[in-house]
Amino acid sequence: MTVDMLMDWFATLGDFPVLAFILAVVISGIPLFLVMALNAMVAVYVERKVSAFMMDRIGPMGQGPGLHAGKWGLLQTVADAIKLLVKEDTVPESSDKILFKMAPFIIFIGAFLGLAAVPFSQTLQVVDFNVGVFYIIAVGSIGVIGIVMAGWASNNKWSLYGAMRSAAQIISYEIPAGLSIIVPIMMAGTLNLQELIHYQSGTVWGILPNWIIFNNPFSFIAFFIFFISAIAETNRTPFDIPEAESELVAGWMTEYSGFRWAIFFLSEYANMLIVSGLAVAGFLGGWRSPIPGLFDSGAWGLFWFMGKIASLIFVMMWVRWTFPRLRVDQLMHVCWKVFIPIAMINIFGVGIWKLIFG
Amino acid sequence: MAKYFANIYDTVNTLWKGMRITWRHMINIKRDNVTLQYPEERWPQPERNIGFEHADYNVIRSRLHVDIDDCIGCLKCERACPVDCIKIDTIKAPNRGEDIPEIKHTGTTSNDTRKALVVSRFTIDLSECCYCNLCVYPCPEECIFMVGGPNNAKHNIDYEFSEFDRNDLIYQFAKSITKEQKESLQPPKPKVEA
Repeated sequence: MTVDMLMDWFATLGDFPVLAFILAVVISGIPLFLVMALNAMVAVYVERKVSAFMMDRIGPMGQGPGLHAGKWGLLQTVADAIKLLVKEDTVPESSDKILFKMAPFIIFIGAFLGLAAVPFSQTLQVVDFNVGVFYIIAVGSIGVIGIVMAGWASNNKWSLYGAMRSAAQIISYEIPAGLSIIVPIMMAGTLNLQELIHYQSGTVWGILPNWIIFNNPFSFIAFFIFFISAIAETNRTPFDIPEAESELVAGWMTEYSGFRWAIFFLSEYANMLIVSGLAVAGFLGGWRSPIPGLFDSGAWGLFWFMGKIASLIFVMMWVRWTFPRLRVDQLMHVCWKVFIPIAMINIFGVGIWKLIFG
Repeated sequence: MAKYFANIYDTVNTLWKGMRITWRHMINIKRDNVTLQYPEERWPQPERNIGFEHADYNVIRSRLHVDIDDCIGCLKCERACPVDCIKIDTIKAPNRGEDIPEIKHTGTTSNDTRKALVVSRFTIDLSECCYCNLCVYPCPEECIFMVGGPNNAKHNIDYEFSEFDRNDLIYQFAKSITKEQKESLQPPKPKVEA
């Protein structure tokens, strides 16, 4: 379901181009928002449970209709959402009020725009860009503006520190992420996400599916560099120095509450979805089945794509609840002295590989 | 240069080790779970060992209990209580030492004392009780006591006596008696003529 398809269909009904465009955007935007909200709801619940299990706790239980009637705390996120929506919305007295109110929406726009290009299945994609990979990486950087804006407008030292750290971190980690995503682009010779996935059909090395991660050792390493950089870009725990609870209260989110904070939260989880989607499309065969040729068509595409995204998000949670936070200098060390050189070697290696093996 | 690659190898190795630990904890949650869902689940009652023989030790300050069949309504415990948490109401029995089956009143105690009074209310507010044990000594029939310890044969020690509502901490030991039954026991008051 692309916007173009909808607009073509509207064009057959009559000549109203502006209205058709607005309608098409709204019709394709609402499901996207639902995907975002649903993703956050499920992911928050799973994150609570995964973190609890890893710490030998059991996490939320009960909270059903009636005090202890619920099962396994399934309605915990609903309760959280209602709590966030009815919370008082505070704006600090000495903040820059316009920027303060604008920041959550800019972060939200960054996440929302990125989601538009994620190829959920063969046909389920809002906009099928011919520069999809580039688009997602570019739009992903909009969030930094919102973060810096939030930190600055809060007029709070913790917020400003958090925003500065965030800017340094996200901009640094975009470089290894970008250099690693160049590997699949070089191999498939396209920036279009659907064509990238189409390239990954068939088998390689005899039995493995022809996903780019399995294609050669360089792309195997590139996947891990991309994935770790993606975790850093979404500000999740081993790299959560922008919001470091123990140092900066909540970083750039310190002064936010209620619905505005909920939007930050929503965008964070949507960003997880987007970077996982990009990793899946670029390295893990997108909506292709793990057994080549089996269950490889129609609605199965959506199933495989969401399944792969879910497992990547689970790995993100697993990483989050295992490792302690990096120091700022360690963070920069990993990025500039380890990831970037290796990513460069990867690009070189894949070039040679393509020359020799085709 | 060798150190650089050794560091990377070390990092990957230790990261994998750490992730394996959390994974093991996650899949063994059924076995390793430490959370007790308190109101639904409770720990088993611990073996009490306070360093003395239970029966020899003077008193375990646990919770007051009253054997209401032995109570003669003498109000000695109520007067002894320093925080006034014991409240007793009595009605004169029609015939001393006789059972009244309608209200399950027994006429004689286990010490063969013939009761003159019907205890219509015997409440102990355990949220006020200071566990001083002072009410136990004056009791002529030894019917009020702390549960557990030397009295374990009479009443087992309570695991806990927490309640959802504070009012439920007011323990009623007297047998339930309706208003009509109460009025039927009391002789009609003679009308005072001016």
